[in-house]
Amino acid sequence: MTDYFEFIGSLMKGKGRGEALKGLKVVEITHFIFGPNIGRVLAQFGAEVVKIETPGEGDRYRAAAIFGRFYNRANLLYAILNANKYVVAMDARNEKARRIIFELLKQADVFVENLSAGLVEAMGIGYDRIVKVNPRIVYVSCSGYGQYGPLSRMPSFDVAAQGVSSVAMKTGWEDVDEFYKLPDYFGDYLPSMIAIFAVLSALYHREKTGKGQYIDISQCESLMRFMYDFTFYSVTGDEIGKTGNLDPASSPSGIFRTKDGKFVAISILTNSQFNALRSLIPELEDGNRLRKEKIKELNAKVAKWVEQKTKDEILEIAKKLGIPVQPVLDDKEVIEDPWRWERGSLLKFRDRLLGEIPITGAIVEMSETPGKIKWLGRPVGYHNRLVLKKWLKMNDEEIKKLEEEGVIGYWDEMPGIAPPLIWSAERDEVFKGEKDEEG
Amino acid sequence: MKRDEILMKLFSEDSKPLALEDVFVVEIAEENFAAAITGSLFAEMGAKVLRVEFSDEAKKISPFGVKIGEVGIPYFVESRNKEIVKFSDEIKEKIFSADVIIDGTLPGYLDSIGIGYRQISERNPKAIYVAISPFGHFTSKAKEFKNVPDSDLTAQAYNGYPMLIGNPYLSGEHSYPLRAGLWAAWAMAGVNAAVGAMIALLERLRSGRGQFVDVATNDALAVVTTFPAVMGFLFEKPRGRFGTIDYLMYPFGYHKVKDGYIALATPTDADFRALLKILNRWDLEPDWKFTLDRISDDLERIRVLDEELNKTLRNFTIRGLLKKSAKMRKSRLPFFGKFLGRPVIVKINTLKEVLQDEHWKIRRSFLKVKLNGKEVLIPNSPIKASETPPRIKKLLGKEVSD
Repeated sequence: MTDYFEFIGSLMKGKGRGEALKGLKVVEITHFIFGPNIGRVLAQFGAEVVKIETPGEGDRYRAAAIFGRFYNRANLLYAILNANKYVVAMDARNEKARRIIFELLKQADVFVENLSAGLVEAMGIGYDRIVKVNPRIVYVSCSGYGQYGPLSRMPSFDVAAQGVSSVAMKTGWEDVDEFYKLPDYFGDYLPSMIAIFAVLSALYHREKTGKGQYIDISQCESLMRFMYDFTFYSVTGDEIGKTGNLDPASSPSGIFRTKDGKFVAISILTNSQFNALRSLIPELEDGNRLRKEKIKELNAKVAKWVEQKTKDEILEIAKKLGIPVQPVLDDKEVIEDPWRWERGSLLKFRDRLLGEIPITGAIVEMSETPGKIKWLGRPVGYHNRLVLKKWLKMNDEEIKKLEEEGVIGYWDEMPGIAPPLIWSAERDEVFKGEKDEEG
Repeated sequence: MKRDEILMKLFSEDSKPLALEDVFVVEIAEENFAAAITGSLFAEMGAKVLRVEFSDEAKKISPFGVKIGEVGIPYFVESRNKEIVKFSDEIKEKIFSADVIIDGTLPGYLDSIGIGYRQISERNPKAIYVAISPFGHFTSKAKEFKNVPDSDLTAQAYNGYPMLIGNPYLSGEHSYPLRAGLWAAWAMAGVNAAVGAMIALLERLRSGRGQFVDVATNDALAVVTTFPAVMGFLFEKPRGRFGTIDYLMYPFGYHKVKDGYIALATPTDADFRALLKILNRWDLEPDWKFTLDRISDDLERIRVLDEELNKTLRNFTIRGLLKKSAKMRKSRLPFFGKFLGRPVIVKINTLKEVLQDEHWKIRRSFLKVKLNGKEVLIPNSPIKASETPPRIKKLLGKEVSD
């Protein structure tokens, strides 16, 4: 019989059946991360996603480049988050623009928005209005605290949601009066992945019944869903609080420094794993090992053992004995990791406008309908002409009139918003709406 | 009728169908809670989820060993709506008829006992097989590390997460990379896997065929957030631990005030100016006017502003800041946001404060289970859906109520 890993590897290299979500039409009015990540994933798997922005500055995440560093005038974080999307820019203060947005929503299978709660209603595109003209739509509103309830109008960002939901109280050292946020906008990304699951479930239901629906996702509730602390509190009356590097459900557990100055994480979950580790460190005694003081005592012994071994020695032992151990990587080590390149979660991508850039691949690997990156996020209003022609069958004259009236617009000459300096409008058939991105 | 009342009625659960009630899922997760979370998401949406167990190890895993009856807290919470059985020959047959199989065991283990994807897909080509493991079920590294079990902490580590958390100015162990205080990698991996399975299910409606879906917990955070890839391309050095400072905007973190802690964010320059007005620190404006002035990989430079703000913030109460902030004019339309700002300021809550908040009660964010006369709280599904609201009816045979 073929080796298992080779067998699965061959499945992953197969030709497949094309794009899973081909034909799905998505419209989004989103900014920053929570909303845009929903369209990003749907677009990775073949959905046609139109992102509506404001002329001029567009989605404000465009300006939020990591340490202020842009590449070819693009914010790569925005470019990856908004890959495969058609970006249009309309001035929602204008009645005509609102009518165009309404027409796009009449055709959409999915609509995603993450504006302040209630703003879409003020724009005349609330669920109650759209469902009357498009009862099949799956309409998703994303916000910090949900669409109803006393907090619903409060402003939110990742860091605020982590604070309000009490997640903020979880990360840090027990004896240091500081809290640290979960990095890389966990309070945006996790809720957005939950929203995608909700959208896909609603689409599944629609396939069976023909009915669309309204979905309300809050950042706080999405975070609280994974805090076992609430249940712990209801049972014991105590808060788990900050526990440093110790996972209170795993003993011993922590991040330890090796002989060669590296860090490894060790997290023992089962008795067999504990016994395997004890075979190396005989001083480890079980005796109700999940008690807080006991975890600390065991960790101290593990720390001593780890500091006598190099990282590679420890990983070799982990492989032999089946102990949950991994190195603690930094950004550079992540991007230089050959495994990620072999797996396809990192890949070199040549974008027509931005050039060759390493990017992350699809969020999951699928044997028959793999996700794909086709183009990266475009300048503000870049696909105006293409989308108006393709979706609303407008001609060049009608589009020109909308441009002159300021109904639709393009980019300001600012990093993150505008095309690369060498870009030429005249030579770009996609920009002119004469050709689609994929030819 | 007010907006809130209309929405509450729209999202009510009364006599509504469940989205996935014709889907049969088999969850073989053992102590891999990422896989259990995937099963839970399906179970909340009405899928029939059969959790098949080889051992009792998962039941023992719990914060500080606290048990609810005979099981640990994560096991209890993730048992929602599931039927739990021990593996047997009879059960083995059932596995072959599943729409979705969730495999959280070591890669290749189920294959070795005749219930891996190659055996299942032969008898049931419509099966969708979702594998969740540290390095996935293919690649040379996956094979090399096939015997290394999964855990949230080790997955966080390999995703590069702890390297970003903590305060580099502390000494000793406190300067180490720091763990995220909840199961961040497992939660993300579990949800990613559920998304992959749903994409496959939708596609199956068209093609009639199943497929293999692979999730690596060691990559689940990095592949979603994309930050390490961008960082590695643009910079020579990796990001370090930045304490409460952020790398996209400043302020965007937690700060100590007179009577507690706040989360503070100023996403635009207008918001930052508004903050300076609230704090009466207009003197800081000339040097720190623009977003690009306030972010840098030179931590020492940003610390100057951070220390100034922290010093000032300690003179204010949470209530005082919220009151002043509420008076600032904020545009709801992005265009005017350039000119009218208001910082986002919220109080950092304790668990008790969250549970006492009327907002989460109205939204039914937590549910109760009665056990031996005592009420145990569990988080509800975070999804509100008007036609097919997810529901949690039972946990280990116990009824669930509001």
